[in-house]
Amino acid sequence: MNIIIQRAAIVLLALVIIAGIAPAQGGKKFETPVLVTSAGQSADVTLVSMLFKRANLAAKPAPQAKAGDLDNVKTLVVVPGFSSKGLGAAGISREDELKRIKQLLEAAAAKKIPVLMMHIGGKPRRGQQSDDFCKMAAEAANHLIVVKQGDEDGFFSTIAKDAKKPIDVVDKIADAAKPLAALFQ
Amino acid sequence: MKTMQRHHWTAIGFLFGALILAGIAARDFLRMRTPDLIIPSDGLSRTGLLSEYAPDLAGTNGDTPYYLYDSRNPGPTMLVLGGTHPNEPAGFIATVVMVENLRVAQGRVFVIPQACLSGFSATEPLEGYPERFSVPTSSGERIFRFGSRGANPLDHWPDPLVYLHRPSGQQLSGNETRNLNRSYPGRSDGSIMERVANGIMRLLETERVTLAFDLHEAAPEIPIINAIVVHEKARDLGGMAVLNLEFEGLQYALEISPQNFRGLSHREWGDGHAVLPILMETSNPIQGRLRGPTDVDLILRGVDIRYQTALEVGRMRISYDAEGESLAKRVGRHLAGISAVVSAYNEMYPDSPLMLEGLPAYTELLSQGVGAFLKPPPPVQP
Repeated sequence: MNIIIQRAAIVLLALVIIAGIAPAQGGKKFETPVLVTSAGQSADVTLVSMLFKRANLAAKPAPQAKAGDLDNVKTLVVVPGFSSKGLGAAGISREDELKRIKQLLEAAAAKKIPVLMMHIGGKPRRGQQSDDFCKMAAEAANHLIVVKQGDEDGFFSTIAKDAKKPIDVVDKIADAAKPLAALFQ
Repeated sequence: MKTMQRHHWTAIGFLFGALILAGIAARDFLRMRTPDLIIPSDGLSRTGLLSEYAPDLAGTNGDTPYYLYDSRNPGPTMLVLGGTHPNEPAGFIATVVMVENLRVAQGRVFVIPQACLSGFSATEPLEGYPERFSVPTSSGERIFRFGSRGANPLDHWPDPLVYLHRPSGQQLSGNETRNLNRSYPGRSDGSIMERVANGIMRLLETERVTLAFDLHEAAPEIPIINAIVVHEKARDLGGMAVLNLEFEGLQYALEISPQNFRGLSHREWGDGHAVLPILMETSNPIQGRLRGPTDVDLILRGVDIRYQTALEVGRMRISYDAEGESLAKRVGRHLAGISAVVSAYNEMYPDSPLMLEGLPAYTELLSQGVGAFLKPPPPVQP
């Protein structure tokens, strides 16, 4: 009898865990207000903010957002991609930027704020300098939207598949508007 | 009197041979000073020299021509610079295509095709660059000079060991003294490039320029190619243009000008004036470190055997089109970029639009080539 109760408890516990995880990794619906930040200081964050604006979704661009900026935020959007000009403009090093993103993602997780990763810069925002940012953002994200050229080597698709995260791969930046709108419906 | 011995004749022979070689080299050297032919369209309102804005430039090799297209209808004023770096021909040729085709229906456009005029009179040492290239037109070939990145050393010699940018105090390698795009805002009594930079700043101020472009190219391995670099105050404008261009199938990266890198057009123009500065870059294999034969074909077709090989063996970590980066494609990208930014500007400021006409579309340049949009050279007089 005890064994049956134990097994039933384990099954129940598993169901509770699955029920808790599934919305975060599967059909997660995101909500406004949104904070859009960069991981690598590329200006792609500007383009993503424009996509939100065109979709009539309230989104605040904050390329150098910190944990304190997450108050009242219901979705964190991370736009990965290294830009030497962007880091120069911000006056920070690549290491500082990696540290900032790590802390921001940890803070979002602690506050249970879902993370959407949008990689729209294609090949120029991949490679040695960008991939640390891309990996960090993709692994922390609940959902990925990627412009196809940036995933020619399956970098993002593999992360999504391994972690069973939903991913939308689109042909062009403008095409990202459709899955974006669907996520916030 | 002693009779001439055999070694004397040998010496005279060598001297004579050296004189002939020097004569041939001198002829080529002096030909680099022949101005390039630019034939303005009927829409031209006025042409003049930059020294009208900076009198200290008068009589120097920095005194470059400008072309003004004035619709006489109220609207914004735009400036387009080509040839800031004369070894980046797409920027220069894009502005020549503009000068030869442009009509302005509303607003005004200034075009300076050879911003660093001095640099067109010399090539870069040790690079093996051709001195000129020709573009076939409907009736004859148009010949253009291929210059150096910076001013001719004859116009500024010697380079200092360290270039001190004024007024910021930023230090760069000494040869950057001759780089126009490290010389803004310039000085009226500075080096030749500082004086040119000062002239362009004075033009921006005097003519109340609203929108200004600086057209460039870079090696395929440079991260900032096929890019639009904007001053932070033109961030939204650049973003809208990038999205507009994407609808035309042209991908551009948007970059924001670093605030702590001084002397560049996209930084100093915007800091110094109300203008919205835009710098655009295309991918130019002849500037690449991996390139093979460095000849006119590489300028025009942009197909490089070394980059092709790297692409085939999967060693490329950069964007390189297997079909090459032709001059037509690069000029097309610049003109498409300008049109997209102007469209975005007109969306943002619908009450005071800039209306351009006559510029070829990207697809037209690809299908017909650059020469189709250049005027044929005048017939040679008998």
